[in-house]
Amino acid sequence: MTLTFGNSATVTRALTLEWRADGSLWAMRGDEERAVSVRRCFPWSEPAQHLSLCDADEEEFALLRDPVELDPRSRAALELALEVAGFVFEVTRVLEIDEEVEIRRWRVETRQGARTFQTRLDDWPRTLPHGGLLIRDLAGDLYHLGRPELLDRKSRDLLWAFVD
Amino acid sequence: MSTQQQLDDHIIERYTAQPTRLPPELRRLIEHAWHGAPVQLYALADLDQSLRLTEAWLALGPRHLAVARRESSGWHVRSVERSRIEAIREAPGLSANTLTILGASGEPALVLLRYTHRQRRAFENIRFVLEEQVNGHPRELADGEADRLYAESVARPIRDAQALVSGRQTAVIRRLLGYLKPYRRDLTLGMAAATVITLVSLIPPYLAGYLIDRVVRPAQAGTLSLGRAGTIAALAVAAMAAVYLVKQAAAYVRLRLMAILGEWVARDLRDQLYEHIQRLSLSFFSRKRTGSLITRVSADTDRLWEFLAFGIVDVSLSLVQLLGLGTVLLSLDWRLGLVMTLPVPLFCWVIYRHGENISRLFIRAWRKWSRVTDVLSDTIPGIRVVKAFNQEDREIVRFGERNQDVTAEFNRIHASWTTFWPLLVLGVHAMTITVWIFAVPRLLGTGAHLPVGTFVSFLLYTTMFLAPIDVIGQMARTINRATTSAHRVFEVLDTEPEIRDAAEPVRLEPVHGRVTFEHVTFGYDGVRQVLRGVSFDVTPGELIGLVGPSGGGKTTIVNLIARFYDVSGGAIRVDGVDLRRLDTGHYRRQIGMVLQDPYLFHGTVVENIRYGLPEAPLDRVVAAAQAANAHDFITKLQHGYDTVVGERGHTLSGGERQRVSIARAILHDPRILILDEATSSVDTETEREIQEALERLVAGRTVFAIAHRLSTLRKASRLFVIEDGRLVEHGTHAELLAKAEGKYRHLYELQLQLQ
Repeated sequence: MTLTFGNSATVTRALTLEWRADGSLWAMRGDEERAVSVRRCFPWSEPAQHLSLCDADEEEFALLRDPVELDPRSRAALELALEVAGFVFEVTRVLEIDEEVEIRRWRVETRQGARTFQTRLDDWPRTLPHGGLLIRDLAGDLYHLGRPELLDRKSRDLLWAFVD
Repeated sequence: MSTQQQLDDHIIERYTAQPTRLPPELRRLIEHAWHGAPVQLYALADLDQSLRLTEAWLALGPRHLAVARRESSGWHVRSVERSRIEAIREAPGLSANTLTILGASGEPALVLLRYTHRQRRAFENIRFVLEEQVNGHPRELADGEADRLYAESVARPIRDAQALVSGRQTAVIRRLLGYLKPYRRDLTLGMAAATVITLVSLIPPYLAGYLIDRVVRPAQAGTLSLGRAGTIAALAVAAMAAVYLVKQAAAYVRLRLMAILGEWVARDLRDQLYEHIQRLSLSFFSRKRTGSLITRVSADTDRLWEFLAFGIVDVSLSLVQLLGLGTVLLSLDWRLGLVMTLPVPLFCWVIYRHGENISRLFIRAWRKWSRVTDVLSDTIPGIRVVKAFNQEDREIVRFGERNQDVTAEFNRIHASWTTFWPLLVLGVHAMTITVWIFAVPRLLGTGAHLPVGTFVSFLLYTTMFLAPIDVIGQMARTINRATTSAHRVFEVLDTEPEIRDAAEPVRLEPVHGRVTFEHVTFGYDGVRQVLRGVSFDVTPGELIGLVGPSGGGKTTIVNLIARFYDVSGGAIRVDGVDLRRLDTGHYRRQIGMVLQDPYLFHGTVVENIRYGLPEAPLDRVVAAAQAANAHDFITKLQHGYDTVVGERGHTLSGGERQRVSIARAILHDPRILILDEATSSVDTETEREIQEALERLVAGRTVFAIAHRLSTLRKASRLFVIEDGRLVEHGTHAELLAKAEGKYRHLYELQLQLQ
C-alpha cells in the first residue's frame, strides 16, 4: 500500500481505520493513532481518490491515494466517514425560483427532505466537471443536481436559465 | 424585543422554514430537568445520523447541556453535566458538520450531533463556551440572550446579503415619494403639464371626425355653403395647430421640470446616503461588499431618478390615457368602442408575460456574461502570469468560446423581442381590421348608421393605443426595479451607527496619551471572543510593541484604541476617561495610523500629505515629508508635490506610498500613534529609511506598533505578547528574552533561525 504520511514523505506502511465508541474515526499506523476526519482532495473531479485524513489540529495524518489499498474493514469505516464528509443536498425537484431584493430564493425537494434556501443574485450555479450543477447557498450549504436533464418538466423549465 | 431581533425572526420564518425559537414546551422541559436553571444558548441540529433533515436541539445552561430529539411520543430530552466534558470536536464537511462532545477517555461520546452550515454559527457559540470551560477559562453567560443569539446566528448570512427594509412595497414607494415633498410646486406643474399632454392628444382625432362629418360632407352635399365651410375648416385647422402648440409647450414643461426634479431628488438621496455611510461603523463595511455600496450611491440613485422623473408620470398618465381613450371611443360609438377596448387587458397581460419570459432570457445571458467578465478580471490583472506560462493562446480560445456563448444568448433575446413586437402590433392591426369589418357595412348603410367622420376618428384613436398598453404591461417591472433600488438605499439610511457619542461627550484638551485596558473582552459577533480579559496600562510617550501569532488579537486591540468598535466587556480609558464618554470625532483627530498597505487617495502628493489638515502651510508639508524621508523622492517626480498619484497611489512604489503616509501622520501630529506592520512589505534598504522616519515620528507620542519582524521592535519601551485573545507576556525586549520558556523568546529564536 502506498500512503503519504505527515509532511508528504511517501512510505509503505499499514494504515487501518476504525470507528470507536467516542463516535470518531480513528486512524492507526504502527504505534501512532489519532482521531481523524476525512477530506476529499478532489470532491468533484475525482471524489473516490486522494483522501486526506486530518487530526483535530487540522494536521494531515495521512494522504490516502486510493481506498482500495485499505483492508476491507478499514474501507468500510472510511466509506461511512466519506458519506458524512461528502454530504450535500441532492435535489430531486425544483419547486420555485424567485428573485427578491439582492437574493434569489429557491424552494426544492431533496432526498433529505424539503428545503428552502437563498443565493446572491450574482452567484450562479457551478457546472461540475462530470456534468451536473452545484449551488451554494448564503450559509455555505451545497445543493447538487446530478442530472438536471432528468428532472421533471417544471423543474427543468425553472432551471433552464441556469443550465448550459 | 429589539427591532433587530424582530427582523431576524422574520428572516428565519420567511426564508428558512425552521423554528424561530427553541419550542417553549421544550424549553420548559429542559429547565425543569435542570431544576429551574435557564437555557443560555441553543442550536438546532437539523440532520440526523443518517443525514436526513430532522429537528433536534442542543441547549446549554450554567451547569448542564441537553440534547432533545423529537419522537412520536413527544420530546426526548437527555441532560449531561458540563463538568463531565473533557473535549469537544467539530468535523466540518461539505454541508454536514459533526459536533462530538467527549467525556472521560474511552467512554462513548456524551453528545454527537450533525447539522448543516446554516446552523453552524449557533453551534460555534456553544462550542466556544465549552472549549473555554475545558481550557480552564469558564465563561459566565448572561441570561435572556439565548433567543437573540440563536436568531442572529441563523439569520445573519441572509441579513448581510439582502437589503431588508421593514415595510411593504407600497410603504417603500410612499417613503420614496416623500422625497418629492420639497419640490411640490414643480411636481404639481409637471403633473399638470403631463395631464394636459394626455388630454389634448385626444382632440386632433375628434377634430378630424368633426371636420369630415360637419364640414366636408355637408359642403360636398351642398347643405353647407362653401364660404361657411371654409371658415369652419380654417377655425378647426387653427384649433388643431393650437392643440399641437399647447401639447408641445406642455411637453417642454413636463420634461424639463420632471427631469430636473428627479435630479434634485437623486442628489438629495446621494448626499444623504453618502453622509450616512461616512458615519457608519466599520462593522457595517465588513458586512457589505464595497461594490454594492458604490452601486447604491451611483446606479441605484440614478434608477430612482428615472423612476421619479418619468416612471411615475408615465404609468399614471398611461392609465389616464387608456381610460380617456376608452371613454371617448365608447361615447363615439359603443359597438366599435367595445371592439377596441375589450382586448386591451389581454394585450397588457401578453406584454407582462413577454416581460417575464424575456427576464428569464436575460438571467441566462447575464450568467454567461459573468463568465466573460470572469476571464477578463482573471487575465488582465494576471497578465504577467499568463505570459510567464505562455498561455496567451489558451486564454484567447477561452475568451472566444465564452464570447460566442454570450452572443448566442443575446441573439436569443433579440429573436424574442423582434418576434414579439411585430406580432403585438399585428394584434393591434387586427383590432383595426375588426373595426373595419364591423364598420364598412354600416358605412354603406347596413345596420346602425355610422358617420364617416366618426369612423376616421376611430381609426386615428386606434394608433394611440399601443404606447399606454406597453407602459402598463411593463408597470410591474418598472415598479419592482425602483423599489429594489429604494430598498437598497433605505437599508443603508436605516442602519444605525454602532459607535455613537454619549449625550454630553468629553473633549480631552490636550490628550496626554495614557491608554488603559481594564479586563477588556471583545467579539465581532455572537459569543466568540477575540479578546478575553486584556488589561494593561500604558503611560504617555511609551512605545508598545504588539507581537504574537496571526489572529491572536493584535489588530483588534488597535481597532479598539481607535474606537472603530466598542468593547463587549470591561473598559478602555484614555487619560482616565472611558473611551465611550469621549467626543469620537475630536478623539480620532488625536490618533494617527500608518498601515501595512498605506491608502493614498486619487490626488496630488501634497493633497495626500495634507489629508488630515487641509489648511496646513506648505513649509510644514515639506518639513513632514523631510522627516518621513519622502522629500527627496517627491522632488524627483516630474511635478514634485503636485504629482497626481493615481487611484490608491498606484503610480508610486510600496515604500514611497508608505513614506507619504508617514509624512501624513507626522503632519497630523497625533498624540496616539498606531503602526500596523508599517515596514513589512518593503525591501531592506527601504525598510531602513522608513524605520528612520518612524523613529522621528514616534518621538513624544504614545505608540502601539504591530510587527512580525521582532527586530524592528527592539527599541520598544515594552512588548506585549498577544496570543489567543490574551496578554500572555509583557516586558522589555531584554526582560522577555531572559525568560527561558517565554513565548517571546521562542518567537525570537524562530526568526533568528530563519535568518
